[in-house]
Amino acid sequence: MSNVGPYRPFELGGADLREAVKRYTSNPLYLDNEEWENDDNPYRRQLRPQVVEHLDFDRVLGRDEILDYENLAAQRILTTIYETDLVFFPKSGLSDPAKWADFTNFYSSSNRVLGEMVRPALERHVFGFLDTEVEVSGKWTKDSLEAFLRTLEDRPQEPSKPESAIRNSSDPERAARMWLIQFAPDFLSEASPMIRNALGYYGEAQSEWFKVIIDEYGYGVHDTKHSKLFERTLESVGLRTDVHHYWQYYLSSSLMMNNYFHYLGKNHELFFRYLGALYYTETTLVDFCRRADELLRHVFPGTVDTQYFTEHVHIDQHHGRMALEKIILPVVEACGEAVIPEIVRGFEEFQVIAEIADEDFARQIAWMDGGPRNKELHAPVWEAIQSGRVSAPVAHIVEPHGELSNTHCHNGDELCHIVSGTMRFVSGFNSFQILEAGEGTVINRNRLHGAIIESDECVYEIHSVGDYEKCLS
Amino acid sequence: MLVLSFAVSGAGNCVTVEDMPYVYARSRLGSFVLPARCPHRGGPLHLATVEPDRARLVCPWHERASSVRRALSSGVPVVRNGNRATAVFPHDAGTPHHLTHRPLSADLAGKTLEDRS
Ligand code: FES
Repeated sequence: MSNVGPYRPFELGGADLREAVKRYTSNPLYLDNEEWENDDNPYRRQLRPQVVEHLDFDRVLGRDEILDYENLAAQRILTTIYETDLVFFPKSGLSDPAKWADFTNFYSSSNRVLGEMVRPALERHVFGFLDTEVEVSGKWTKDSLEAFLRTLEDRPQEPSKPESAIRNSSDPERAARMWLIQFAPDFLSEASPMIRNALGYYGEAQSEWFKVIIDEYGYGVHDTKHSKLFERTLESVGLRTDVHHYWQYYLSSSLMMNNYFHYLGKNHELFFRYLGALYYTETTLVDFCRRADELLRHVFPGTVDTQYFTEHVHIDQHHGRMALEKIILPVVEACGEAVIPEIVRGFEEFQVIAEIADEDFARQIAWMDGGPRNKELHAPVWEAIQSGRVSAPVAHIVEPHGELSNTHCHNGDELCHIVSGTMRFVSGFNSFQILEAGEGTVINRNRLHGAIIESDECVYEIHSVGDYEKCLS
Repeated sequence: MLVLSFAVSGAGNCVTVEDMPYVYARSRLGSFVLPARCPHRGGPLHLATVEPDRARLVCPWHERASSVRRALSSGVPVVRNGNRATAVFPHDAGTPHHLTHRPLSADLAGKTLEDRS
């Protein structure tokens, strides 16, 4: 055989990666929106290409940085890349030439290839920390795996942080809507990541896998398809159901939860991790849905449609056991014990991510509820800056009427100070403060927010104070 | 089988099952469940060192050496998630056990391979 030279695996880093991410995100579909919400156009997603060149995606984010802006940016991009494998239509159809153009652009080879080029680096950037968070060793056997996984069945399930945050919120309805919005990227295209593993030829487990999918898809009766049930939940509390209508209100960790399954499903070398993660979600889902049903009926008495959740209580009861007995154990039988560490790893990794998401959402609700207090905190922090006690980098900004800062977050606390004009400062769905000249607000690290200018012009300053509490003493 | 969770470091990092104490050891070659009592004369293996140039764990009492690679591949099956280790012991479910604290040597409380690379 002639010498073909060494195989060179694909790698993209440094300036090439930066350039490639810029190129992908500068697609007109991904530019900033002039509105807070997308209007029946599943192809439009705000990726804020104007800032990506300041972000270093060429490294692994640590656990303590995982809610920083880099993760939000990368998760938004990954969601977009993964979803070019999914079919979406606007509810109003494609006869509007602008929507047809967006449809062909979104699914074009160009958009897909540019996304594929940056995907591995972005996945490493946001999921790489799991390599250090979770470690598996020792001699695993089918029996020890089964004993390990079955302990989940007896683990007491308590209300999660988001559930408590909603119950204790100063505006439980707003908090509950924000919560439902977080599920939309997952529930409206439910089971799509799972279907990635339905293709191929791998024995009996494949057919068992397919059964789980059939359940999620309501046995082909559209009115019972889970996404349809979830649409009814959204509608019953006055929310829209068009795909990514609320894109700007997704937290990075909500996208991360959904992207994690796409990541495992897209990269089949991670197939076995998917098994572990699937077992975890299927086993805990029943209790979660029972509590969600109760919580939503408590917050929206008499009006909310919770069939999505009650249906899961009936249908998914057996999915955990099915996943273990019909999929996981037969796969171990067929593939050998070498695959077990990966199954265990997926089981634990998903819990790491779920914990991050729970914490993130609870903090966001506290941040939304804390709007008036954060506005009050402007005075002492501004005083510290003015008196020279605190010096922090400052950005001076002038914006015209209607200018909308698409939602984002910062990696440290900031102070927003209005010099002239009026700003509507938005800290979540239906959550805002009006800031006039001389006023402002503290902006907490990692908290999602955006703003729109309501006066003819607004002059304001952003002081990067790092830790606002240090300004108070 | 007996599935137990215990701390990787700090309070409760040692689980004793049927009189044998176990800790979660993090060596430069990887992490594993370590029976903390030396089979020779009961020396404190949680204070063992790892030979700088070989993958061997050395007991501080009479310098008996054992293979780290063997512990990694054939030890008690375990997963670490942050500061929590969950291990599956061959004992019957329900076997009594209790948690205590044991200090670890620098070589066993240290950074993992990934942290160092
Ligand atoms: S007790 Fe460990 S070598 Fe003797």
